[in-house]
Amino acid sequence: MLRGVLGKIFRLVGYTVQYGCIAHCAFEYVGGVVMCSGPSMEPTIQNSDIVFAENLSRHFYGIQRGDIVIAKSPSDPKSNICKRVIGLEGDKILSNSPSDFFKSHSYVPTGHVWLEGDNLQNSTDSRYYGPVPYGLIRGRIFFKIWPLSDFGFLRDSPNGHRFSDD
Amino acid sequence: MAHSQGWVKRYLKAFCKGFFVAVPVAVTFLDRVACVARVEGASMQPSLNPGGSQSSDVVLLNHWKVRNFEVQRGDIVSLVSPKNPEQKIIKRVIALEGDIVKTIGHKNRYVKVPRGHIWVEGDHHGHSFDSNSFGPVSLGLLHAHATHILWPPERWQKLESVLPPERLPVQSEEECLLGSL
Repeated sequence: MLRGVLGKIFRLVGYTVQYGCIAHCAFEYVGGVVMCSGPSMEPTIQNSDIVFAENLSRHFYGIQRGDIVIAKSPSDPKSNICKRVIGLEGDKILSNSPSDFFKSHSYVPTGHVWLEGDNLQNSTDSRYYGPVPYGLIRGRIFFKIWPLSDFGFLRDSPNGHRFSDD
Repeated sequence: MAHSQGWVKRYLKAFCKGFFVAVPVAVTFLDRVACVARVEGASMQPSLNPGGSQSSDVVLLNHWKVRNFEVQRGDIVSLVSPKNPEQKIIKRVIALEGDIVKTIGHKNRYVKVPRGHIWVEGDHHGHSFDSNSFGPVSLGLLHAHATHILWPPERWQKLESVLPPERLPVQSEEECLLGSL
């Protein structure tokens, strides 16, 4: 009887490990469902919206200006931030309010991106902590699945284009 | 005829079953637990690649140890290069968040490492593209902790977490906190 129980436990552990590994591979290399919290991407993404994120663009280095990405927070690697890519490496940053981090004109360094939330009044983003290394990007959000009233592909930035690629 | 068809079908079924178990488990293991990598370049001499281009060291990279982003000063770590996300670089951790570092060749003489960041340097100063060039790096870029040299066999060893005494931080976070008591 003990052998039967042990056998069942081993099988259970085996299945858990196997499905855990499949889940890791799926989220790491394909994509997954994410719940966003916070006001910094309103009106595009509201607090507690559920969205679909894909990770293929990150692995193929296909992130573009205007994409909404999930990235690890530069000051806290255990938490994620959700912002829009405003500038890629080499872009000139046009900013209304000078900050002590950079002078009036500066360029996004190589290997970095400039992120801003859509809710400019209420968003801690690259205007505060500077350009974000591309390696921190985890995935690209492209589809909202909850609430159902807002189901579908995500809108363009409500703030127009504030970057130039000269 | 029927017997050989049955054999092929059983073989394919067993193959698919094994494939869908083995591949995700192997990929997850290499991503989350440990993997092996060859070190290129001279930026970590003499600790790694002392022979230059004649023989490259192969190191064991331990992901599991850094799953909570816990590193100590002196650890040799691999991270995603902040200047080129397609590349991984291997350097030594010199300072943690809150420490004040005296830099070599950086535009500021002293740098305080911000929260969530670390300061990394190669052991071969002057031949190393490290924090003295690109500043403190975010802990989110941390990839793995290099714990052992696996190849060539005459260089089998555990990599020690030692901080060269001349690279100790000017003031560490612990000293800052104690000073304010």
